[in-house]
Amino acid sequence: MNFIFKLSDKILLTIFLFATGLIFSVVFFVGGSVQQILILGELIYIFVFLTTFVISRSLSKRLRELTFEVEEMAAGNLSKRLRITSKDEIGQLANALNELLVRLQTGIAQDVFKHREIAQAKTDFVAIASHQLRTPLSIVKWYVDYLVSGDAGEVNAEQLKYLKEVYRSNERLIDLVNALLDVSRIDLGTFSIEPEPTDIIERITSALKKFLPDIKRKHINLEKEYDIVPVINLDPRLTKIVFENIISNAVKYTPEGGTIRLSAKKTQHQVLIKIADNGCGIPREQQPKIFTKLFRADNVKKIESVGTGLGLYIAKAVIEKSGGKIWFQSPSLDLLLDKNKKDDGLTIDQESKGTTFFITIPLEGMKKKPGTKKLTSLEN
Amino acid sequence: MDKNKRILIVEDETAMLSALSDKFSGIGYTVFPAGDGEEGLKIAMKEKPDLVLLDVIMPKMDGITLLKKIREDVKWGDSVPIIMLTNLSDPENVSEAAKYKVYDFLVKTDWRLDDVVKLAEEKMRALDKKN
Repeated sequence: MNFIFKLSDKILLTIFLFATGLIFSVVFFVGGSVQQILILGELIYIFVFLTTFVISRSLSKRLRELTFEVEEMAAGNLSKRLRITSKDEIGQLANALNELLVRLQTGIAQDVFKHREIAQAKTDFVAIASHQLRTPLSIVKWYVDYLVSGDAGEVNAEQLKYLKEVYRSNERLIDLVNALLDVSRIDLGTFSIEPEPTDIIERITSALKKFLPDIKRKHINLEKEYDIVPVINLDPRLTKIVFENIISNAVKYTPEGGTIRLSAKKTQHQVLIKIADNGCGIPREQQPKIFTKLFRADNVKKIESVGTGLGLYIAKAVIEKSGGKIWFQSPSLDLLLDKNKKDDGLTIDQESKGTTFFITIPLEGMKKKPGTKKLTSLEN
Repeated sequence: MDKNKRILIVEDETAMLSALSDKFSGIGYTVFPAGDGEEGLKIAMKEKPDLVLLDVIMPKMDGITLLKKIREDVKWGDSVPIIMLTNLSDPENVSEAAKYKVYDFLVKTDWRLDDVVKLAEEKMRALDKKN
């Protein structure tokens, strides 16, 4: 037997009965005694009450069951379907939810497909960018080189100045392309880690080499405090990239006559490297963002327009992939205390807050990670 | 450095090919420029140069294939110094080249022309010493 009463029908029926009762009572009021009318009224009242009670009870029970089932789906079980126990509005709701689920599932399947497509497009970008962008960049580089060397005829001082500007800009583009490639390799997880016994101090020295001319030009006071640290299994190229990215910032954002202090020491389970400067520091409100891709703090944009906002992102990705940690402190306590000492405890110059970057590398070193691509940024 | 040395440069990008050719011939070397792998192979077998500069991605025949073919030549190709030039630092290609005794895999944007010349001269000098 299959009695189908839509909910609305049930309510209508109740109202109908109630109304009929009302009409009867009116009739009785005209023809019957007051007592009869009261009894009838009470009967109608009880009837309506019972009907409403039964309907609302079954309704709320069904709704509770539905809620329970939907919650289970929301928790991730999308292949589950709601039981359809009636053909009333609740049944229709369950049915509609089931259809929604089917759509959701197809949607997710399409998303996964789309995601794969995007990943593929990114990989293609890496290949295209490497080849298509680097080819003209190297052509410019080599021809400017060729002109500067005087092989193609004598170049006067003014021409040489302009050519050097062209060369510098081109180098900036090369750095940017390399950094972008690194980021896409990091994001895709395709970069490789190839550890070998590596001397960390040598890596710092090697990374520093690129910046020595700038350090000299800006009369930056370079301090080194290296303990004897053990040789660790690290990817030497990646390690150098990390140091280069941090040192590059220190050199760029430390004013003339400022100080950069590099230190390395062995603790129980790791090597701790500190790169401290008394440069412009990182504004407090922007500190949470500084490892974010493409982010550059407002104060450094004013000092130096050159910068991709990718260096710290790359450094963090590399260090964390190899089991280490990277963090910073700004204002830097390292050089601030010195400064206070020097200034005889005078007020701290707000413009030279300084920053210290801390990097830890576990003594067990980096784990080998096979990949199809190497990171290239700031490579020499 | 003996300027009578002969150098084969295989590179499909014309501008790059002439930058390299002009640089080396400007110093006094004899340069054989080739615009693709097949042409490079032909010249290589005929001229048997003292050094080969080899691009990786090229039409007709890519650099790795050409490298293998050169190495098959026992008398000359087996020992001639080869420098690979690339814009794709793909470890697969690097390790493939290493199988054929090529350890200089230069990413073009990272190298100055003068440093390419220095490396090339170093390679040729090393081979002279060996012989």
